Amino acid sequence: MGTVHAKADEKLTEVPHFAHKHTFRELPEKEQIKEIDLEGIQARVDKINVDGLARTKNDIVEDCIKDLFKATDFQDVLLKAHRARVKLDELGCFKNISVFIDTSKGPKSTPDGLEVTFNVREHKRITGGVSTQVGNNEGALLVGMRVPNLFGRGERVQVEYSYGSKKTTNFNVAFIKPIRGRHRSAFTTSIFQQHSEWPPSSYKLVERGVLLDYGFHSTSLLKHNLQWEGNIRDLTVLSRSASFDVREQSGLTLKSALKHILSVDLRDDIIFPSTGALFKLTSEVAGLGGDVGFLKNEFFIQSNYSLMEDVVVQASLSAGYLSPLSSGHKKIGAADAFYLGGPLSLRGFRPRGCGPRSSDGDSLGARCFWSAGLHLFAPLPFRKSSSKGGLADLFRTHIFVNAGNVLADLDLAGGDKDLLETLLTNLRLSYGLGIALRLGNMARLEVNYCFPHSYDKNDKTQPGVQFGIGVQFL
Amino acid sequence: MNPKEAVTKGECERNGIEIETKATFAYKGKQEMFLDFSLIEDDEIEEVESPILQGITQEPWPKDVELYQPYEVEQILLPDNANCLAVQAFLKMCHLDYKVVHKENAEAMSPTLKVPFIKAGRFVIAELEGIVQFVNGKGITLTEKLDNEQKADMRAFMSLIHNVIENAELYICWVDKETYNEVTSVRHGSVYPWPLNHIQNWEKRSQVIKKLKALDWYNKTLEDVFSEVETCCEALNTRLDGKPYFFEEGPTELDALVFGHLFTILTTPLPRSDLANTVRNYPKLIELVQRIEKEYFKKQAKH
Repeated sequence: MGTVHAKADEKLTEVPHFAHKHTFRELPEKEQIKEIDLEGIQARVDKINVDGLARTKNDIVEDCIKDLFKATDFQDVLLKAHRARVKLDELGCFKNISVFIDTSKGPKSTPDGLEVTFNVREHKRITGGVSTQVGNNEGALLVGMRVPNLFGRGERVQVEYSYGSKKTTNFNVAFIKPIRGRHRSAFTTSIFQQHSEWPPSSYKLVERGVLLDYGFHSTSLLKHNLQWEGNIRDLTVLSRSASFDVREQSGLTLKSALKHILSVDLRDDIIFPSTGALFKLTSEVAGLGGDVGFLKNEFFIQSNYSLMEDVVVQASLSAGYLSPLSSGHKKIGAADAFYLGGPLSLRGFRPRGCGPRSSDGDSLGARCFWSAGLHLFAPLPFRKSSSKGGLADLFRTHIFVNAGNVLADLDLAGGDKDLLETLLTNLRLSYGLGIALRLGNMARLEVNYCFPHSYDKNDKTQPGVQFGIGVQFL
Repeated sequence: MNPKEAVTKGECERNGIEIETKATFAYKGKQEMFLDFSLIEDDEIEEVESPILQGITQEPWPKDVELYQPYEVEQILLPDNANCLAVQAFLKMCHLDYKVVHKENAEAMSPTLKVPFIKAGRFVIAELEGIVQFVNGKGITLTEKLDNEQKADMRAFMSLIHNVIENAELYICWVDKETYNEVTSVRHGSVYPWPLNHIQNWEKRSQVIKKLKALDWYNKTLEDVFSEVETCCEALNTRLDGKPYFFEEGPTELDALVFGHLFTILTTPLPRSDLANTVRNYPKLIELVQRIEKEYFKKQAKH
């Protein structure tokens, strides 16, 4: 974060028309500190300088900073300068942005005039690096290259290759174009190739495809993503022992799908929020061309309540429903189905450990699922209160209860009265306790001791220690 | 020496390698079994759960055997059809029941990525050689009356067919422009949606061309290919020598393989009829094909 320097000029306070509004609380002379009500200080921005622009086009920079001219008092100037700085940062063109606010001088300056200077440093034409990332219970090595600010308006091309500890490989070339306007929208085109292995279901999947994404905000907090995905998927059995049900699905399928993701994130932190809620709704229609067709709806809600300092109750609920298209002759593959179980979803069960499986024990996926979690997070015990911000702050202890269910097929039209009953028969429930660790600001690591409480006889439970690493947990 | 082993030895002397394999199955441990399977060929037998293997010799032919192959009317290509028919002929010669299942992704489902394959209980076995071996494992064989020399002869002819007739079929289907454009690309792509059909055709074609290049077939002209087929037919004709089957003892897997390929070549309409015409020059071979068709396929159809 850059620094906002407010230079309180001694002379300024003596200017007569400031006097009737600002409130002084005279402190003992020796400390020489004055508290100023910034809202009371009239100010206007006369001039904005942006230093360090080379490739970046003026119009997009102007868009980011022009609000600053509307400021009427000094606090407004500070807030708007900060907002402008965030916007400049979001462009992704600059490495470093600092803001200086000074009184304006010179012949054209007005009496309350200020001069704001943004000092920016542009990214190099090509940047690259090797890093590690975590997600979905897997660590990955990421090699990436970026060409930021390609045509001077924040466009960028990025090439990424990642290799995961569970043999997941991912290659992705993306072109991202931010679009000017108040919706803070951006258009992304990417070409990807993804290789993943799913031992619980005995298959591996190679996906090659194109993804077009248009992301925008309809209000300042409501984020939408409209996507189209064209994807050639090649499913092969992982081993000779794969069940015939999985073998029958091998081969190529072409999926063409439209997807809408709506998200509202009001949480104060991604990893260990103490207050706020997250809501995410995903709707997907596949079957506009291609031979895969389905309608898939999924939501995730997480809500956090702070009981006392650092003691947080977190409740989450997620559910999904997959239905075939009415035309009916398009395929629904193993890759489209829902799976439940594993350290990121239903703890105490093996990954994909719940639900329908073949006679050989391969998890086949379900058409419908729901899962819920209730956590009580607390800081590490015996922590010194002085160590706030220290190492212990990265850890939380938690106790949890997870519940959920999967249904191979749910007939929604069948009769509403026993819907609840259907959803609750064969309920899976587990509870446990553990330690969670914040990894950077990106991921969470959990080590839990789990007690599966109720489960189906075909389920694969994992009582005892379970280890999870990922971004979104139940 | 343990008496059981002695019996085995005796059997070996009479029946050669097949029985030897069988014997090891019955009397040795799990590891040896794997060894023997590797003798056959690694990919051909799918082992699902090892205890089942121990019963492989004792278990009779399961009732629910399914033979998987691509759709006959709109999808299957000449070489695949020939191999599927060969396996069907072999199973019929052994009087084994099976049900044909048509699957558009049969090729991808096969453990060797080649059609046909059969699903017998928990086993999945692909291609003629693997299936023959599997059937032999059940104690059913067409070659028990043959001596070792005849068996070697049979194998040599079978590999001749794989190396000549099958390659010629691949060449006609994928390298010959006219056949590729009019028949192969349409049929092979028929099961995929646009644009996957073009991508798949292109990918499969490059695979086949790569294979033919490695075998030194890609640079041949059509005339070369036909003369290769002619030489092969000549050799088969000489071996048949007017007998009802290649061996006096009765039909074998060689007859099944020859039937599969020649019948398909003769009955598949292609823009180029030269391949069928080459085969038509050998009436003795055609008689063999007709005999097998009449004996094993027509009869079955009446049921």
